[in-house]
Amino acid sequence: MQRIYINPLPVRIWHAANALGFVLLIATGLQIRYLDLVQLISFRWAVSLHNWIGFALMANFFVWLGFYLLSDKIKVYHPELNPKKYFTDSWKQIHFYGYGIFRGDANPHHPNAYRKFNPLQSMMYQIVMMFLVPLQFVTGLLLWDVTLFGTVIEQMGGLRVVDSLHVLMFIFFSGFTIVHIYLGSLGHTRSAHFKAMVTGYEEVEMQGEESSEQSRAGERQG
Amino acid sequence: MKRLTSLAAWLALLLCLPLGSVPALAKEGALSKETLACLKCHDKPGQSKQLVDGETLSLYISAEKFIASRHGETDCEDCHADLDAKTHGKTKTQIASRRQLTLDMRESCRDCHKKNFKTYDDSLHAALVKQGPKEGRKDAPLCSDCHNPHTLLSAKRETALDEVPCAKCHAAIFKAYSHDVHGLERVAKGKAAPICSDCHSAHGVQAASLGTSVRDACLKCHTHAVAQHQDWLPNTLRHFEAISCPVCHNPNAKRRVSLRLYDQASGLQVREKLGVPQFERQTTLADAQQLGLDERALWSLLNAFGQSDKAGSTVLRGRLEVMSGVEAHQISDKAHAIKECDTCHRAGAPAFQSVSLTIAGADGQAIRHSVQKEVLTSLLATESIRGFYAIGSTRIQWLDTLLVLVVIGACCVPLVHLGVNRLFRSVRQRLQAQRLADKSAADPGQAQRKDF
Repeated sequence: MQRIYINPLPVRIWHAANALGFVLLIATGLQIRYLDLVQLISFRWAVSLHNWIGFALMANFFVWLGFYLLSDKIKVYHPELNPKKYFTDSWKQIHFYGYGIFRGDANPHHPNAYRKFNPLQSMMYQIVMMFLVPLQFVTGLLLWDVTLFGTVIEQMGGLRVVDSLHVLMFIFFSGFTIVHIYLGSLGHTRSAHFKAMVTGYEEVEMQGEESSEQSRAGERQG
Repeated sequence: MKRLTSLAAWLALLLCLPLGSVPALAKEGALSKETLACLKCHDKPGQSKQLVDGETLSLYISAEKFIASRHGETDCEDCHADLDAKTHGKTKTQIASRRQLTLDMRESCRDCHKKNFKTYDDSLHAALVKQGPKEGRKDAPLCSDCHNPHTLLSAKRETALDEVPCAKCHAAIFKAYSHDVHGLERVAKGKAAPICSDCHSAHGVQAASLGTSVRDACLKCHTHAVAQHQDWLPNTLRHFEAISCPVCHNPNAKRRVSLRLYDQASGLQVREKLGVPQFERQTTLADAQQLGLDERALWSLLNAFGQSDKAGSTVLRGRLEVMSGVEAHQISDKAHAIKECDTCHRAGAPAFQSVSLTIAGADGQAIRHSVQKEVLTSLLATESIRGFYAIGSTRIQWLDTLLVLVVIGACCVPLVHLGVNRLFRSVRQRLQAQRLADKSAADPGQAQRKDF
């Protein structure tokens, strides 16, 4: 096993703030939308908190974007341009999560500092970070002041459409968060990926050590 | 020449009549000789005339009140130019009804009060006069219904509550007003507090449930209202746009959602064309069972109006308002105004239980047709009522279902994955043992070292 510095400090800070922010946004969003079911704090407080956290996460997004744009680590988000290789690798990863992991097989993806995402993660995080998160921010910003952004809202189809988009994203991120946390527990130990998001170091099996990784994976799976 | 003849006739009439109760007025020169001549007869209480419809018209004009009035310097014949002094009082003339007389006389008002008359002509009151086959609605107010031409005082003077003419027709509303915060202030502080015409204008009265004129009137006095609300109310301007003031400032009012038809290109509220009752016909067709319009009927109706309106497509803009004019005039002290957001922003809030589609009628009055309240939470109505949305209370129910399904689905991922993982436990252990055995066979030295 080798320890690789895979999650630089700015990324870890961004990720921790994002995680906390998303949980709070989901909680306050639930309160705002389902006031008849959830009353943790007053509606007015929930709206204020939701707005402030939203702005904080927008700023946080630019921390993430700035870090990757200004460093060579942006390579982790470079898409695989060979479709055949991309789909072959993706299938291997799907096969691992859907079958191999139960047999104690080794993870087919071997991360390093410039290729830390497996093909499925790479695709998903590109969609999430470059499309879904900005869409959530933009719709949230429009809803924050519907008079100031009235023209844009009207061009997007009206207040009801903008709110529905925001809620659709909220639904997606609610589901995503649950699955994301579970997938985080599928490292070589249950806590390996969580530790890596705190320390920055991921324990990675070297190519020749696959069989011993399989053994450890088998032990982890119990 | 005609004028001279008329003057001579009036003088003759004056000389014929003995000076009675108005000598002082004559001496002061407050009245012209012609007017004085009229008052010689008309300043006697109790005289009246039987009209064709059986009503009795009082002919008594108090000279004292007349001279004190705004018309005190006006000659009788300025308004009653049609009367011939030679025959007046000598031959019997027939007046069909008091209403007919008032209708005939209002043209005299126009001669001097051109500006106010023009404003009145564009008002809801004038539209009501025009409504109907001949002389319009009988209760539609004409000039003298509000302003007695023989006793009328300056509009600048403070009008006592029991003298306000609006109360004659709008008795229930006026009663509500006289007990609400504005009415009580009016009694306590006089002109500093608003009376009917301050909010609704005296001559340009429009339907209060259409447009934004009344809200604008509120903001004219309550100039800091927006800033004060912005201290605590998110999206204040949107609230001001979509909610009428009494909705929150009459905490006991019943409320409804009014979906107003607007022309998108001009931004003006769609108005029914005179003699073409399109709205009534379309809504009756779309809602044959009188259950209220559903989302499909609403959509069809919007398209029908859009096609018939050359200016552009028709859109709906929603507004929360109180149910009646009486409730709009029961404004409470601001300490009692609703500030709790959950009054409206929760599912099933009473304010969203009644929905109506509203259009401005040809006469300027609001015409409504009931809309099913489920439209507000329907996915299919997303486009129809695109501009009206209240967080929580008009949320699209389909999205609620989707949220539940997605969360259940997301929770199933770890549960199923962990379950299958457990089922594979024996397979995994067997394979693990096999792998170790294979490894030992491939590298016995390492196995021995390990055993050692």
